[in-house]
Order: sequence, then C-alpha cells, then structure tokens
Amino acid sequence: MSPTSSRSPAPTTGSGDLMIEARGVEKWYPNGFHALRGCDLTVQRGEVVVIMGPSGSGKSTFIRTFNALEDFQKGSITVDGIALTNDLRQIDAIRREVGMVFQQFNLFPHLTVLDNLCLAPVLVRKRPKAEVKEQAMALLRRVGIAEQASKFPGQLSGGQQQRVAIARALCMEPRILLFDEPTSALDPEMVREVLDVMLSLAAEHITMVVVTHEVKFARQVASRVVLMAEGEVVEVADPETFFTNPSQERSRRFLDQIL
Amino acid sequence: MDTLLRRLRHELFASKVDGLITLVLLGLIGAGGAGFLRWALGQAQWAVVRANSTLFALGRYPIEQQWRLWLLTALLAVATGITWGMLRSHPRPDRVGVLWPRNDRIAAVLLALLALGLPLALGLSGAVQLRWWGITALLLLWRWLAGRFGPGLPPLLKRLLPLGLPLLYLLGMVLIHGGLGLSPVSSSEWGGLMLTLLEASFAILLCFPLGVLLALGRRSELPLLRWGSVLYIEFIRGAPLITLLFLGQNMLGFLLPGGMAPERVWRAAWVLTLFAAAYLAEAVRSGLAAVPRGQLEAARSLGMSLPQAFASVVLPQALRVALPSMVGQFISLLQDTTLLSLIGLMELLGTARTVMANPAFLGRNAEVYFTLAVLFWCCCAALGLGSRALERRLDPAALARSG
Repeated sequence: MSPTSSRSPAPTTGSGDLMIEARGVEKWYPNGFHALRGCDLTVQRGEVVVIMGPSGSGKSTFIRTFNALEDFQKGSITVDGIALTNDLRQIDAIRREVGMVFQQFNLFPHLTVLDNLCLAPVLVRKRPKAEVKEQAMALLRRVGIAEQASKFPGQLSGGQQQRVAIARALCMEPRILLFDEPTSALDPEMVREVLDVMLSLAAEHITMVVVTHEVKFARQVASRVVLMAEGEVVEVADPETFFTNPSQERSRRFLDQIL
Repeated sequence: MDTLLRRLRHELFASKVDGLITLVLLGLIGAGGAGFLRWALGQAQWAVVRANSTLFALGRYPIEQQWRLWLLTALLAVATGITWGMLRSHPRPDRVGVLWPRNDRIAAVLLALLALGLPLALGLSGAVQLRWWGITALLLLWRWLAGRFGPGLPPLLKRLLPLGLPLLYLLGMVLIHGGLGLSPVSSSEWGGLMLTLLEASFAILLCFPLGVLLALGRRSELPLLRWGSVLYIEFIRGAPLITLLFLGQNMLGFLLPGGMAPERVWRAAWVLTLFAAAYLAEAVRSGLAAVPRGQLEAARSLGMSLPQAFASVVLPQALRVALPSMVGQFISLLQDTTLLSLIGLMELLGTARTVMANPAFLGRNAEVYFTLAVLFWCCCAALGLGSRALERRLDPAALARSG
C-alpha cells in the first residue's frame, strides 16, 4: 500500500516539499459510521493527486479533513508543516493556505462575482481593497469571465460559477488547492470549460488534490491516482499503471464499472 | 378605452358564475361604502377629533415646549425623504433611471394632498397649517435630492449614512426629554401618537440586535448559551404580553436597587423590547436555517473566522430571508403598544379613552376609534412600504433585472 514513485515535475525547494502528510486517519460520524479506516496519503509540492472511488467510499470526507471541515478521531495530518490539531488558530492558519473548490460551487449569492473574490483577501489577509481588486480582475480574465465581474452568481451558468469559485480560491494565493468533485454538479457541456482551467493550473505546478470521476483528466495530469473504497486507501499508483494494470483486485472491479 | 372595457369584461364577467359573483360583490361593496359615507359625512360629528387633535398627537406635552417636537418632526421628514430617495434609486450612479417611479409619483401626490387637506379638515390654525406644508415640502425636497444626487455620493459616505438614523433617534430623545440646556419634560406628560411611536421605535431598534443574538445563541455549540436562549425564547413566547407588562410594572421596582428602576414609560418600553426580541429571534432563526451549510463551509475554507463568516456571509443572507417576517413582527409590535393603555400610559388608545370619558364628547366613540384605526393603518402601511423597498433593494436578482 506504499505510494509508488511519483513523476512530479515540480521544482524541488529543499525541506518544504511535503505539502500534506496524513497518517492513519480514522473518522467515525456521530451516528457511529466508520467513515475513514486508517487512511495514509502524502502529497508533494507541485503534485496533482487524483482521488477516485465509488460513492460512499470516504473520498470527500478524506480531503475535507485536510482543511478541518471534518474532524477525525485518530491519526495525524500535517499540512505545509503545520500539524492539524484542535487549536483554532492552527486551523485558521491552515485554511488560509488551503483553497477549496466545492461540488456545489458555494459562491456567495448576495455578492457580485468580483466581491466574491475580494471578500476573503481583504478580511483575512488585510490587503488593500484596490490591490485585491486588480488581482481579482486578472484572475477572472485568466478563467475567462472578466466581463461578468459585476454580475451576481445567480446570473451565471454552472460552468461559469465553478470557474468563479476556482478564481475565488486562487485569490487567497493558497499553496494547495482541494477540489471536491468540481464537475459532478455540472451539465455535460460545461465540464470541459472547468477542466480546462484545472489543466492550466496543473501546468503551473500548483499543488492539487482532486476528487473526481473524470478519467481523462486523471490520465492527463495526475502525478498519482488514489483509489479509495469503504473508507480505506486501496491503491496509490501513477495513472498509467492505475488505469492499465492496477495491482489490486478492488481497483480492477472499480475500473470495470467506470471505463 | 375599448381595450379597458374588454379587459374588464374578461376579468369580471368571463362566465355566468363569475358575472354573478362580481355583481353580488359589487352590490355588497356599494352598500357598505354608501353606509360608511352616510355615517362619515352625515351622522358622525368630527368635532371630537378636531378639538383634541393636539392631544391625540402629543398628549399633555407643555405648549411652550412644543417647538421641540416641530423641530423633531421636520428632522424626521428630512430623514424619511433621504431614506425614501436612497432606497428607490439604483445603487449604481451610471444606471439612475427614473427619478420618480410611478408608485413614487402616486405616493408623493397623495402625500401632498394629505398635507393640504388634512390640516384644513381638522380646522387647524393658519400658522400650524403652514408648518405642515413646510414639513411636507421638506420631505419631498429631500426625496428629490437623495434620488438625484444620492447614487453619486462616495461609497464610504453612503455606507455611513444609515448610522444617521440612530443618531437622529438619540437627538429625538434629547428633544422630547429635555437636557443639554433644554428644560426637562417629565415622561408622565408624554402621550398620544408621539408616545406610541416612541415606545414602538425604541422596542424595534433594540429588539433587532437582541433577537439576532438570541437566534445565534440558540444555534451555538456552547450548551449553556444554547439552553439559556431556548429557555428565554420559549418562556417569553409562552406568556401573554399583557401579563409581562403588569409583571414589569410591579417587579422591576423590587428587582432593581432603589431608585434604579426606570420610569413607567421606559419600563414598558423595555418589556416590549424583551418581548419582541423572542419573536424576532424565531424569525431570524428561520432565516439562518435557509442559508445552505455550504456557505459557511466556503467562508471558513477561505480562512474567515466564525464571526467574520457570520457577519459577511451568513447573516446578510439570513436577514434578507427573514425580513418579511421580521417586518410582520414590527407591525404587530406597533399594534401591541395599545396594551400599554391598560397599564395606565397615555399612548394613542389611552388618550382616546380619556377623550371619550369627557362628558362633552359622550357617545362619540365611533369617530375616535375610526381615527385611531386610520392612524395605525398609516403607520403600518409606511412600515410595510419601507420594508418592501428594502427587500427589493437587497435582492440581487431584482436589482439585476432593473439594471
């Protein structure tokens, strides 16, 4: 179950290379359901790690523990050198450095697109509004929706909203981006535009952990693919090996169902 | 004209049954209206209202100090005009469309007619009539100014403008109560519409933050805070207001150390506030429940602290959802002030009862009650109109459509 060698193209910068280190993470929901059963995962700087698996396998729960949206009862998680404990200051420090993109976009409907981007950098990082605005417009241009800056999220299509959500996460200049099934709530014809943005981020060696069912995306950019089932990490492999010759029987069954 | 006739026919007489219902309703409305007009123009003797109009408005406020209330009314007219203009103009200076939308034109004309006609009908003296005209002109002038130049103001100033309302409230308190060089007027001399509005506005202003805190407390993860809030809300909602009012009059004196107990007027205002806060908390709670969980998660994942996330993401959405039911609470709060007459305050109903007890106006109850109903209706209608304008203003979709 040890991770096979990654083909991470990231520039190495010494000791800070380990971005996420999760060891033996166990989680029980209050109703007693054992959601995570001793999950291990390491993510290096610049890696794109894709997590796949059947629904209910704990993929989303697992990445939501990385920024403390879910708590866990056993094991340890270290994000960018900061250990995740119950200390609220540590949690806030980690959340500032970890961006998250949700399945349901979760844009703030009462704010314009531009204000969605600017809110957190101004409030949390205490940066001057004018400077943040400029950066936000640059990000919106980059994801291709600068002309919608003054609209409200409800006036945009699903694909546009998800691109705004990615830009919003980027505006905090995070060191890691988590994607929780970013294309699952989209109409099929809008999946492409969101994946294209994610591809461009991967090309810039932004560290990403992506929960998705998009096989093509995983093949194209993943440094490693992780398969989860019943709350366990079943296999970690490079995409070529994972999709053509997985080592685990469970992975084979999963691939038979989705390919 | 032809299309109007056809539309009327289509809407009122589409089928035989529809036509029958229309005719019956028209008959009933006509009979009721005729009966009312016969009473209002024939039998009713409005002298009782004319003779006591100052009493209804101010209670027994000393005559030589009434200029303070005129000044306050003028200030309120300015504030109303500015609020009206700001709420009804588009927030973006480049998109200011119609300065006076159709409904606003109708409202302005009605207001002007009222200002011209009502003082005349009440037989007020020439000087007083002139003052009412001036105040109405002031209101409309500031409505125009705010609508014309408001959207172009610097954003910072626009955001600070609402703070003027609590300031105006404090200023109003000083004007009514005295102090800062003004001779004091005892609260036992306050009365009429002024006291009604004073009690209601005090309770509305203070129950709002209290209610929001209670609603947040009810959702808190701290057990003591949560159970404390639940206990408070359920206790207050389980008791009739009138018993709480009597309780407040009798108990506050015992509970607080000697001399600390506020005057009767303020005791009643605090009971109203604490009562309304419990109901408002429930309205806010339903608003909070309407905000999806993902909103808080998104805010938190961006590094916002819990207070930041609530202040800039959750509460703005929750309060917008809760606004209609909150305004409903405010309107019933305004009407609940009539209960204060039962604990001996001379608010509108209390004043009315003393007028009706005067042998000179024996049997003139209908005229007095009718006047009261109209006054309350006007206040509630103003609250309702203001809230609808605010609601529209806060709804991004509606804003986008009008833009």
